[in-house]
Amino acid sequence: MDTTFMQLKRVQLLLGLLGTLAASIASAQEPIRVGFPMILSGAGGQFGAPILKGAQMYVDEINATGGVLGRKIELVPRDTKSRPDEAVRVARELVLRENVDFLVGTFTSGEGPAVSGIAKEAKKVFIAVAPKTDRLTAPDAIHPYVFRAAANTTTEGRAAATIVAKWNIKRLATIAPDFAYGRDATASFVAHIKKLRPDIEIVDQQWPKLNESDYTPFITAQLGKKPEAVFSVICCGNFDSFARQAGAQGYFKSIGNNFIGLGEAGSIEALRALGGEYPIGVYGNTYDAFYWKPKDSEVARLHAAFTKRLSTALKDDTPPSWAVQGYISMQFLVEGIKKANSIDSDKVSTALKGLEIVSPQGKITMRAKDQQATRGMLWGKATKRDGYAFPILDGVELIDPTGFMD
Amino acid sequence: MELPSLSAIGAQAVSGLTTAMLLFLVASGLSLIFGVLRLLNFAHGSFYMLGAYFAWQFNTWLQGSFWLSVLFAAIATGVLGALLERVLFRKFYDRPELMQLLFTYSIVLIVSDVVKYIWGTQQLGIRRPEMLSHSFKFGEIVLPSYNLVIIVISLAIAVGIWLLLQGTRLGKMVRAAAFDREMLSMLGVDVRMLYLLVFSAGCFLAGLAGALVAPMSAVVPGMDADIIISLFIIVVIGGLGSFWGTFLGSIIYGMVFSFGILFIPQFSLFAVALIMVVILIVKPEGLLGRENTR
Repeated sequence: MDTTFMQLKRVQLLLGLLGTLAASIASAQEPIRVGFPMILSGAGGQFGAPILKGAQMYVDEINATGGVLGRKIELVPRDTKSRPDEAVRVARELVLRENVDFLVGTFTSGEGPAVSGIAKEAKKVFIAVAPKTDRLTAPDAIHPYVFRAAANTTTEGRAAATIVAKWNIKRLATIAPDFAYGRDATASFVAHIKKLRPDIEIVDQQWPKLNESDYTPFITAQLGKKPEAVFSVICCGNFDSFARQAGAQGYFKSIGNNFIGLGEAGSIEALRALGGEYPIGVYGNTYDAFYWKPKDSEVARLHAAFTKRLSTALKDDTPPSWAVQGYISMQFLVEGIKKANSIDSDKVSTALKGLEIVSPQGKITMRAKDQQATRGMLWGKATKRDGYAFPILDGVELIDPTGFMD
Repeated sequence: MELPSLSAIGAQAVSGLTTAMLLFLVASGLSLIFGVLRLLNFAHGSFYMLGAYFAWQFNTWLQGSFWLSVLFAAIATGVLGALLERVLFRKFYDRPELMQLLFTYSIVLIVSDVVKYIWGTQQLGIRRPEMLSHSFKFGEIVLPSYNLVIIVISLAIAVGIWLLLQGTRLGKMVRAAAFDREMLSMLGVDVRMLYLLVFSAGCFLAGLAGALVAPMSAVVPGMDADIIISLFIIVVIGGLGSFWGTFLGSIIYGMVFSFGILFIPQFSLFAVALIMVVILIVKPEGLLGRENTR
């Protein structure tokens, strides 16, 4: 045999080995890429932007401590423009062209299930940040890669029912936007309140379309049925115009402020946008409130520290309520990676099932059975308080959904 | 089913009237532009949205001088309309409807992106003037004074336009242009100037409506697309290009929408759309429209 050939072969082998080694070193330093499809424009952009900021804040904190598995995390955000088809397009692009390792994001109940399909196809873990529709993790739609860090329509509707059940009323009306989220949350609420208070009668149900601009006829028609209380899911940036028009019609006054607004009607964003025109005395919910004082001292400490860091990061003394959802979702992902000791989606999926995190809102578990986080929401009554330029929620409490999730 | 009380029906009629009058303000401009210029202006909703944003901007600059802001917003929309007519719209007057639709739809997309670029995607709000924040009560019917003002302004404008069209030389020329513009230009009338005026007036009305609606609802991207469907339903029902037809169409839309909600809340848009379908089959030129003579 030709010795030069043998020598060449040996050199080649050595070079090959060196190459593999170099590649593995490089990959150890390359960041873990997380695709982040989110509403960043349109009316929903006012919520998507703070979510992204909250996620980025968590990433910055983790990277400052050296990242996870020795690697930094990098967010790759994309605008879904509030459209499910656009969400699918960007999610596919993130997986195929950007080679992201995971997907975290989506806002509406239209986008969540759409992106879940891509995650299933690509076999990449996807953590839904905000979509609430029960469809996302329903038995026929669930697959190993989809997880939800948000509340869902079942828990949100039932939590509202536990509050309304304490009210001294008999005639109840509902108003909700005519799409998956509005219909699902109303159905869950109605079923639960009938169980808790069989004496309550549903006297009227209104279904204005999403982004309706003229609520006046809906409001007068509802008042015509003489309800004593109203359950509302007017959401997604529509609460402002609804509350303005309803206020002018004397709606809140005529039901004695027995009104409960889901879809984050109690978020700082909504309270600030309406300012002095916000209906004082109504109940609303929100994912976070910078002024919330948790009863548990450990949660209080975590929440206060989180709020302080958020205020500094966003340069905002009254930081938005949505940031915490981005933060918690990234926390789930990173702790899942840590527990799996791998970025392989199958291993991370297994690790996420049953994983408990200690979030700025207390302990939250990603349930193994339905891949749904035990995420509660904050509920309270709108009130004016000295020192704040806009109304805030009084008596804010976190309603833990663990007892009524199934 | 529980039958609504008489006062509930009265309240619903008042709501329907508010909806109708506000839509009439916008639709009258669309109809006027079509009647005279024969231009199917899909971008009319964009001028309505611009009116709302201009009102917010002037209200911020003028620190809450509401009525002045409304006036300035309407004028600004009219002036912008005139500029765009000169540069773009006039090139499409004699083109086929499909071309007009494609062109005006492109304008919709461009304006919506420009609006997002200038004012961002956040919702903006204007507070209604303090003196108009109370409401009148007639038994159980509540009529917010602001809604009453909108109804009165719209009625006054309806009557004003009608008087202008019937009683003045300008009005005669506008009507003649709708009828036979070639003859009119042969008679020595500056038709181009007339068109500019009509287009600008249509935009002024849309801007006025947008400015007036701002304190009732939120100023957001997407206002343009939301209203345009309603506008087309109205002009189809009443007759595209017919002034009183548009008025009638608005009243029908407002009332059917409002009472549809009262009786069958599941189908709020169903009833109005159904009327449009019936009209399109039975009387395609609309209730008060004339046969298309082109």
